[in-house]
Amino acid sequence: MPHQVALTIRAPIKPGQTGALKRLLTEMADPAGGRAIPFERLETTHFARLFVLDEVDGGLGGGAGPPIPASLVYMSDVDAPVWRHLVALVRVGGARLDDVFAHCEGWPAGSASTWQRVAWLRARRIKTDVVYVNTVGRSVAQVHGERRLRQAIEEFLDAKQAEWGTSDPVQIHAAVRRFVAGRPDLRWALEPARGPGLAFRLRSTFHKIGGPVLVLLVSPLLLVLLPVWAVLLRRHERRDMPDDPIPPGRERLHELADLEDHVVQNPFTAVGVAKPGRFRFLTMLIVLRAANYGTRHIFNHGSLTRVRTIHFARWVAIDDRRRLIFASSYDGSLESYMDEFIDKVAWGLNAVFSNGAGYPRTRWLVLDGANDEPAFKAFLRNRQLPTQVWYSAYDDLTTANIENNAAIRAGLAGPEAPTRSQAEAWLARF
Amino acid sequence: MVATLEFDDIQGLVARGYGTLESATFVLLRIDDPASARAWLGVLAGEVATAERGDRSEAVHVALTHSGLRGLGLPEGSLAGFPDEFTGGMTTDHRRRILGDVGENAPERWRWGGPANPVDAVLLLYAEDQARLGTLAERHAGPAALRAAGLAEVQRLDTSPLAGTEPFGFRDGISQPLIAELGPPDQPGPPLHTVRAGEFVLGYQNQYGQVAESPTVAAADDPGRVLARIGDQDRADLGRNGSYLVLRQLGQDVDGFRRFVDQASRGQADGQADANDFGYADGDAAGLGCPLGAHIRRANPRDALDPQAGPEQSVRSVNRHRLLRRGRAYGDPSDPGERGIHFICLNANIARQFEFVQHTWLNNPKFAGLYDDTDPLVATHQGNDGRTFTVQARPLRQRVTGLPAFVTVRGGAYFLMPGIRALRFLAGLPTAPDEDPSRRTP
Repeated sequence: MPHQVALTIRAPIKPGQTGALKRLLTEMADPAGGRAIPFERLETTHFARLFVLDEVDGGLGGGAGPPIPASLVYMSDVDAPVWRHLVALVRVGGARLDDVFAHCEGWPAGSASTWQRVAWLRARRIKTDVVYVNTVGRSVAQVHGERRLRQAIEEFLDAKQAEWGTSDPVQIHAAVRRFVAGRPDLRWALEPARGPGLAFRLRSTFHKIGGPVLVLLVSPLLLVLLPVWAVLLRRHERRDMPDDPIPPGRERLHELADLEDHVVQNPFTAVGVAKPGRFRFLTMLIVLRAANYGTRHIFNHGSLTRVRTIHFARWVAIDDRRRLIFASSYDGSLESYMDEFIDKVAWGLNAVFSNGAGYPRTRWLVLDGANDEPAFKAFLRNRQLPTQVWYSAYDDLTTANIENNAAIRAGLAGPEAPTRSQAEAWLARF
Repeated sequence: MVATLEFDDIQGLVARGYGTLESATFVLLRIDDPASARAWLGVLAGEVATAERGDRSEAVHVALTHSGLRGLGLPEGSLAGFPDEFTGGMTTDHRRRILGDVGENAPERWRWGGPANPVDAVLLLYAEDQARLGTLAERHAGPAALRAAGLAEVQRLDTSPLAGTEPFGFRDGISQPLIAELGPPDQPGPPLHTVRAGEFVLGYQNQYGQVAESPTVAAADDPGRVLARIGDQDRADLGRNGSYLVLRQLGQDVDGFRRFVDQASRGQADGQADANDFGYADGDAAGLGCPLGAHIRRANPRDALDPQAGPEQSVRSVNRHRLLRRGRAYGDPSDPGERGIHFICLNANIARQFEFVQHTWLNNPKFAGLYDDTDPLVATHQGNDGRTFTVQARPLRQRVTGLPAFVTVRGGAYFLMPGIRALRFLAGLPTAPDEDPSRRTP
């Protein structure tokens, strides 16, 4: 099974075209409108989104600096390799993709080849700083297959539930196994799912060991620098100016809310401005590196520091690290998403987002901050962007469902004769 | 530290559900003449039952929607300061999705509160018996009284005398949160049920240890200093001691429900219990005793909320989403006509409390790791989704598919039930320069 890759493409929008592009994206979001890119035909794409970053005239955060033109951002979470996704996107997207990117500078429209378009997209790919994948190695095909598997078994059990109310669980398990074995379209489920490829695992192991080794090597230096950093941190934290905890205006809230809660999953996209100065620049760099290590090696199986409802998430620093995009696809409403974050990982949110201007006041990088519920929610809402186009390959499944489906398959692919308690636990998954 | 509640400024419905006042009626009103309505509210402010102790043989309460506050002449600057869910009301597209008010339940089909029949205020009248209620209703909401008050009746919601069960036959209202500040300070209530006053009344600390944002008016708009001053004395607190009141009329298909249960259970349905001192995490995490998707596990997941079950994390999360329920049933058991419940709940944050419970727990097909099960009693299904009910069992679950909807929404609105001082302030509002003459009756 392939590993997953977070693709981020950012392209400047031609002057004066932002409004038209936004209107087009809104039309494309309507599945009945006939203009949507048929993402469902991209077989290796888990999630995809398109949104606009508005023009920034003058400097960021009120400071001086050159204006930043408006840009279009495309993000997708795909099964490796990326080139296959890009080729499919260009081929499947066809004229509709042309419609979108024609608003950007230099898009090779008209008679240009698929490869020219792919090359254009690749040239605008930007680095993703932190990627969170709920379960590394689980492909779109696996999620879809295991969903079909569970549905078939549930229906099989529906027909038998009256009869099997007092049967031996081991025998029921065996009967289900025979049922699956007899179905050519499901027989694959008797083999366990394979993990990511060898090359990926080797790279991953190297990174996993390399990180701590590097930290160990420079640890004497860190020991000296840490107190200095701590003193500087406190000084900065005292001087920081948190925003007033006022949520965005009604019109903006409605614009955002109109795009939410259509299915059991939701997208979240936000962009914030980093606090000025070298100290915050460095702190954010280190925190993002640490977060990247954490998501790659610790939080790579079903939970991001105990938050289990996120399918994919990423942080992308842009504009010379003066702005940071956060994007995720999660289960449930934004309200419950934010509550869960506050409850479980206020410290983690603080570590990353407190380097952003206007964040609720923190102490020692990780304390307070997000624990001020209304202030934190207003901070996020005020930086949230409408995710104008958003696609999910399995928008009817929560992470809990996907995990359960995988466990159902694992229970079939395991030992042919489970113990009674194993069989009982497996049957409880239905 | 436990703050003292200003009992004399809080409407008594917050403190009690009036179990001894078995008759009640809720009158939904439209403001036709703002000047007369303000005068009416001024008199009413003196008659509204407060949260102070004492036996009562009757009680009167009043609450206003956002359009009602506008109708009374609250300045636009203040109207804009309310949370979005209250300002926009129940019928915006997003709220319809959250609450499940689509199809059969769409506000266009409502008897009141929909786009065709909006509501400005509700008068809640309680009395010991029907005779007293009749007198009370005549005095407050009879034709003459309403005419004098510049009000028109949109709908009158009669209720059936308290019987302890709702129309489907279940005991209702057993589990209510206890307000920490209402109990004796030296005997804290059980952690499972005890919640800070700020979850229900504006102006006090909530479960996050914070005093929630409250709607305000400019100090200049309150020259008589009726309201408490806040901040640098330039704003006055309109929300203080108020509570948001959610009212929804839910029609219940009692016959359909009984037929379905008889069939699905083959006549084995049984039992009523009124225990309330229990959790699920220890004895029934798997749902073998009470199914995972059952109404009572959704409406109050207690210590079993995914993914952090247990008496600490789960209860802490759950207690940020509690509701004070004050609903009453309607319809006559011996009459085949419509029956149901006038659901009422009080909370300080409609989005975090009422809407969250409705969306994330009751209507959520994914609750507790399920796939396509919504609340079997009160969810309003959309199309073919959410019509499964799974009864966990060993060795094999029983799955009921194609569950019908037993409840239909007939009306609803979000109200602010202001404190007494806030009522007096509203009554004293000056005539707005642009007061809508079309609201006046000729």
